[in-house]
Formats: sequence, structure tokens, C-alpha cells
Amino acid sequence: MKKKPLKFSIMIASVVLAAMLAGVWLAATYRENDSRAMFLPDRVMTLFPDPKPLTAFALTDHRNRVFDLASLKGKWSFLFFGFTHCPDVCPATLAILARARDNIDKNIVGAEDVQFVFISVDPRRDTADKVGQYVTYFHPGFLGVTGDNAQIGNLAGQLGAAYEVSIEPSVENYPVYHNASVFLVDPLARYHAVFTPPLDAEVIGKRFKVLRELAGAKAT
Amino acid sequence: MKWRHPVFAGLTWALTLVATASEAAGVSVRDAWVRESPPGVAMMAGYMTLRNDTPRAQLLVAANSSDFEAVMIHRTIVKDGMTGMVRAPQIELLPASSLIFAPGGYHLMLLSPKRTLRAGDRVDITLEFRSGLRLPASFEVRK
Repeated sequence: MKKKPLKFSIMIASVVLAAMLAGVWLAATYRENDSRAMFLPDRVMTLFPDPKPLTAFALTDHRNRVFDLASLKGKWSFLFFGFTHCPDVCPATLAILARARDNIDKNIVGAEDVQFVFISVDPRRDTADKVGQYVTYFHPGFLGVTGDNAQIGNLAGQLGAAYEVSIEPSVENYPVYHNASVFLVDPLARYHAVFTPPLDAEVIGKRFKVLRELAGAKAT
Repeated sequence: MKWRHPVFAGLTWALTLVATASEAAGVSVRDAWVRESPPGVAMMAGYMTLRNDTPRAQLLVAANSSDFEAVMIHRTIVKDGMTGMVRAPQIELLPASSLIFAPGGYHLMLLSPKRTLRAGDRVDITLEFRSGLRLPASFEVRK
């Protein structure tokens, strides 16, 4: 009676040990094989091996110009969704993105084709003027975007950027929930990568430099 | 003798004073700062490191400042992949421990500043604890 379970547990132990060894070997292989490791999601950035082309949307930038699919073409775009009545996460993120922008300008030759865009999910309070005043405070080159709810939802939905605005007519500071990731769209207007919080300006700059070179090699 | 007797009341009052005075020395604020806000924005956030060196847990229950319309204790949370803020009615500060208020976590939400606050300015915010302790702290406005 007792022999069987013992054999069984030895067998289980061997399987577990083999699995552990295989795990160690796989981890080592991935570390050596840089190109493959690039596609593994990490804690900072997820790079999509097969970027998803975005489809038509129509918004307005803070200079009252149309901001649509054509505005994304020919440029690398860092997109962040937020709202100006946001005291903690939005200013913190925009301050980091301002440093990332400076870092990219300093370290990448020909980075004029990079734009940083803040899209308000709260158009009820955020007019084009207000968004403009807000984003240019963080960096003069930043673009603020707003529009009607359906079109904001359209672009946010394509990027999987969930948000929720709980408007209560009597409450001045109604709660807004929004995805705090930074979405990277490539010059072919495809959803290319996403940076997830906690964000770091240096890391964003470094990762972007590498993925831009990789994409360039594939003739983006 | 009833518990309402003046002697008891006086004793309780004296003990509370002693306790509050000793706790005031044991709870401290470091690295207190407020993020400068873009023009036209009436909402700011304050951050700090709170340290409790008293042998008892301390409950932070409110904060106020004459420089703002209102001060609220908030916490940034992530819900269903979305980031938002919730009110933190009270925060427990364990004995011999620190609590960091930082971007993306606990913060003091500062509503409608009564004067224009620019980097380098200072604002006074008083923290209130359940024990009756009131801790004034000076926050530096930073960009």
C-alpha cells in the first residue's frame, strides 16, 4: 500500500524538477536571444509583433485643427488619455513625458517625426483652449486634443484605453477614471506598443530608440 | 463619585494634553511638497512622508489649510484597468513606521488655491489625527 504513493511522489518530484530545469533553460535562452526577448511583454513596455492599423476618427487639436488618422501618419505618436481636472496622475504623467520628449530630442537623430498628444476624455469641461493651456505648460511641443464623446470613445476603444466619466450635474468635481498607459502609434498609424505605469522618462526614451531602429530596419 | 465628576474631567483633560504633547513630538512630516499646477487649473496635489515614532497607531482623519478652499485625503487607485481617485476617510499610521504620499498613490487633494502658487512658494497645511493631535506642516511648491 505504502510503496505505490512513494513511487508516485518520486515521479511527481522528477516531473517538477524537470519542469524547473526546463524553465531555467528557457529563461537563459530568451535572455541570450535578444530579438525574441524584444517581443516578450515586460513591466515597462509591450511591443506588438503585428501592429494593428487604426481606422478613421475625427477630433480637434488645441489650435482648432482637425486631428484625425492623417495626423498620425508619417509620425511616431505617443498618446495619453486624461483630463485637466486631474491633480495627481495626469500632471505626474505629463511631467514624465516632457522629460521623455527632451530625452528623445537629445538622443535620437531625426526625432522631428515624434509627437506627444494628450487626449481629454472629459470634453464637457475641457475645451480646445483649456487643453492647449494645460499641455503646453508641461512642454511647448505637446499637442492637446479634444472632441465629441463618440469620437474620443472611437479612438480610445481602438487602443483599448478604457475610461469612465461619472457626470453628476450637482457635483462640480465628478469622478473620472481612465487608463493611464501611454500608447505608441507608428508612422503607418498602427498601434505599435504600449508603455504601462509606473512610467520612467529615461526608460521610455531608451526603449523608443531601440524599437524605432528595429522598425526602421523593417522599412516602416 | 460619578465619572462626570470635575476631578475626573480635569484629570482626563490633563492626560489628553500630556498624551497629545508627547505624540506631537513623535509624529513628523518630511519632504512635503505640492506640484505646481498649469495655469487655470484649480486642483493641486500635495505629497509628503509621514513618520510615526509614537508607540501607538495614529489615525490621520483630516487636513486643512487656509490657502485652499478645501483639502481632502485621496488615494489614486486602479480599477478594471482604469486609474481614478477615491477619498480615503482615514489612514492608519502604524507605530514606528512611515507612510509615503506620492504621485500615483496617497495624496492631499488641494482644491481652489486662494492665491497663485508658483514653484518656490510655500503653503501651510495642518494634519489632524484622531488622537486630537494637530500637526502643522510647511509644503514647498515645486514644478
